[in-house]
Amino acid sequence: MNREKVWFSFFMILALTLNFGFFYGEINDAAHHNVYELFAVIVVNLIATIMKFGDRTQMGAMLLATSLVAMVQLIAASIVWVFAEHIQHTGLTPSNLSTIVALSGGAMLANIISVILLMIEASRFER
Amino acid sequence: MNEVTALFLKRIKAPLLLIVVVYSIAILGMTLIPGVDENGNPWHMSIFHAFYFVSYTATTIGFGEIPYTFTEAQRLWTILIIYMTVISWFYALGTAIALFQDKAFQAERKKLKFKRDVRHINRPYYVVCGYGETGKAVVDALLDEHFGAVVIEQKENLSDRSIHDKLEYVPSLTADASEPEILEFAGVHQDKCKGVIAVTSSDETNLIIAISSKLLHPDVTVICRSDNKEHEENMLSFGTDHIINPFESFASIFGMTLHSPSMQLIYDWLTGAPNTSLSTPANIGPGHWILSGYGRFGQQLHKKLSQKHIPTVVIDPKEETRAIYTKNKLPDDSFIIGTGTDAKTLTTAGIKTAAGVIAGTNNDSNNLSIIMTARQLNKAVFVVGRENFKRHELLYKKINEHYQTDTHKNIEELSTVAHLAMQPSEIITRQIRSILIAPLLIDFISQALLEDNEWANITISRLSAVIGEQRPYIWSVSINKESAPAIAQALGFGRSIHLQHIIRDPVVHSRNLACVPLLLKRGDNLQLLPDEDIELKAFDQLLFCGLRKVKHTMSPTLTHLNQLNYVMTSKNEPQSYVWKKLTHLLHKYERRSASR
Repeated sequence: MNREKVWFSFFMILALTLNFGFFYGEINDAAHHNVYELFAVIVVNLIATIMKFGDRTQMGAMLLATSLVAMVQLIAASIVWVFAEHIQHTGLTPSNLSTIVALSGGAMLANIISVILLMIEASRFER
Repeated sequence: MNEVTALFLKRIKAPLLLIVVVYSIAILGMTLIPGVDENGNPWHMSIFHAFYFVSYTATTIGFGEIPYTFTEAQRLWTILIIYMTVISWFYALGTAIALFQDKAFQAERKKLKFKRDVRHINRPYYVVCGYGETGKAVVDALLDEHFGAVVIEQKENLSDRSIHDKLEYVPSLTADASEPEILEFAGVHQDKCKGVIAVTSSDETNLIIAISSKLLHPDVTVICRSDNKEHEENMLSFGTDHIINPFESFASIFGMTLHSPSMQLIYDWLTGAPNTSLSTPANIGPGHWILSGYGRFGQQLHKKLSQKHIPTVVIDPKEETRAIYTKNKLPDDSFIIGTGTDAKTLTTAGIKTAAGVIAGTNNDSNNLSIIMTARQLNKAVFVVGRENFKRHELLYKKINEHYQTDTHKNIEELSTVAHLAMQPSEIITRQIRSILIAPLLIDFISQALLEDNEWANITISRLSAVIGEQRPYIWSVSINKESAPAIAQALGFGRSIHLQHIIRDPVVHSRNLACVPLLLKRGDNLQLLPDEDIELKAFDQLLFCGLRKVKHTMSPTLTHLNQLNYVMTSKNEPQSYVWKKLTHLLHKYERRSASR
């Protein structure tokens, strides 16, 4: 068992599960989407991205790309949140929230691709 | 992703992860710990504010307790934040700085820069392996001919010296050129790479460079230095284009000198580096030769002397060389044990009546001593000197000056310490230069060797009449669509063009350009100094010798049909549409009025 691989896969899957947790629920209902969950998604995604640094294989490049996509989406979501709460002082209106959740949904898609790639690589190792 | 970025990301991974974890713990703590606003109501920091606070605290900017004064609990957590984040930042910066100072990382960066520079060369270039005396001169010759150059040198100090002083930027890399990967970095496999010149001090390295270059790019011209016969054959076996053995080359120059000193002078003129002074012809009187030093150099020259049936006295300090000598000797030859540096040995060898002396030991100071002693004993003797290191060139010159002031006479004769000097790097450079610039020059020399001394003298006077005291410049012209489109087109029309048209001044019709056609190559047929009224045919190759600017003055005649018409008819043809029509009408009118 390779400990690095364990951590690597752990963070990638955790990024996906947390992302799903945040995304799941009524798209414009603030009660279904917790800000701490978004924070956790961003942190775990960031960790997963950094862990993918420096891998020069084709698979490594693809994995890094998916993570970067997820990061871009999540940072955009958090910026929308900051705008709503602190700059416009409108609070989380349903339209703001649906933008945030939609962006996190895109990030989740990227995370799903990431995990699929991880599974492909793992299955290739088995044979 | 390139090696450098990959390495950087790999090393920076751990510190970055630490920063992310520490930041998230800090932010989370700040949002969870309750504070109070200015009215004393309980208040929780938002994630946005917490991130802002942690960011300026971690980078030691420290804006203070924003937006409300902290509670004691928040302050306790802030202490923790400060130590955690500042330490992790230092760790990250330390790692990055250590990486940039890492020797391997720096080497990687240099390699990357080299690769990028090579990719961006936008003209045909040559890869020069080995930046010693020869390499330097070759690079100069390449830049002079507006080729690009790429240098690979194994020794750090050599590569960094003087290469950055050139007017043009020459990408260089300190690496072992015998590694195929390094040759690939130097772009040997690229289309723009015209050739590889292997002039390192080691024969084996040159051999490996030649093999790998041919494998990487079969079309590339490979020029190799080799001091050793076995390596030479090995190099030939896989298609090395040119192999240069400095000893053999010098031996053939020496043979040329024995055959005709004027011929050697022509060779010297034509192959010399630009902007070096012209040498004066020397005469070789009748008599025997004294050859000091019977190593591979001495043996080669002895062979040349034997071919001419010239008796030779060999001087060598080692008894073992006598065995080699007896194998090669002619009946009139003799062998003396000694160094030849003292007057006694030289007198025994018959210096007073000798035609020439060869100082051919592998020790420069001994050679100088032989030359000086020989000159004192016999002022008319022809001196051949072997120079082992170029850095001793100055020494040769100094001793020469000293010798001149000592004697106060015959200064004319002593303008050079040796009439013929063997300088390996100089000889190799000359050969490489002629291969690169004018391959026809080699044909010219080989053809000229069939002629006698008188022909050489006539040629010299003809060359000096046209070129004067300046160093001649050599260039070749091929009669084809690429290099002489106007002529190819005119020949296609069935017009007959003679050599005199090409060498006519395109500005002043009555004058010829200051150049001499040296050779006309038609198929396998070589014609030395072709006549001016010879008719040109398609695919002829011409070798010219003249001033450098003449090459450029000549080119309009070769490339523009109008210019060619002018030199052929001395009439300016109208070029613009309106003017053409006008002259056409004018002609018509003239003809009509003439017929009336």
